[in-house]
Amino acid sequence: MNNRIRELRARFNLSQLELAQQVGVRRETIVFLEKGKYNPSLKLAHDISRVFKLPIEEVFTFPE
Amino acid sequence: MKKTILIFIIAALVLISLAVWVVNADLSGDLHEILMVAGALIVLGFAVFMGVIRLRSNLRKEPVEDELSKKIMRKASSLSFYISIYFWLVVMYLSDKTKLEAHSLIGAGIMGMALIFFLSWLGIKLMGWRNE
Repeated sequence: MNNRIRELRARFNLSQLELAQQVGVRRETIVFLEKGKYNPSLKLAHDISRVFKLPIEEVFTFPE
Repeated sequence: MKKTILIFIIAALVLISLAVWVVNADLSGDLHEILMVAGALIVLGFAVFMGVIRLRSNLRKEPVEDELSKKIMRKASSLSFYISIYFWLVVMYLSDKTKLEAHSLIGAGIMGMALIFFLSWLGIKLMGWRNE
């Protein structure tokens, strides 16, 4: 699974810590997500998408 | 925060116990004694490291545990369990081949299990866990 978290964070001018605080996880989790080392739970994916005001499928994608 | 403080207290008690043992025991400087002390220090260092991570999270006002840290801990626990089974088989084999006393073997086994857990945790942390 791929994601656009880093790109969207830059667009919304959010630091990793700020995003982590908004979705209730550790900053380390955001780091792992951006590096592609972790796939989030459905709830976390939903919470992150809500921060960016986008549907989940526009933040997280599965390669064909 | 209470759990963080508890971790530091336990680590301090273990360190004091280890220091008392090293000072009072009639150590001969054998390899297995050095390995025991080194192993204990590594496990202690890991506990202190975890305490520091928790303390830093408290200061940053971020959760001490979240879904990723819990999953890593669970994965490390299950992986180290399976590895430890084989490790104890090796210890049983060595018990026939060496002149080590039972309490030394048991102590080495327990230390080994702690080290296996630390290495499992470290490996999963470095590789990540994509859950696919």
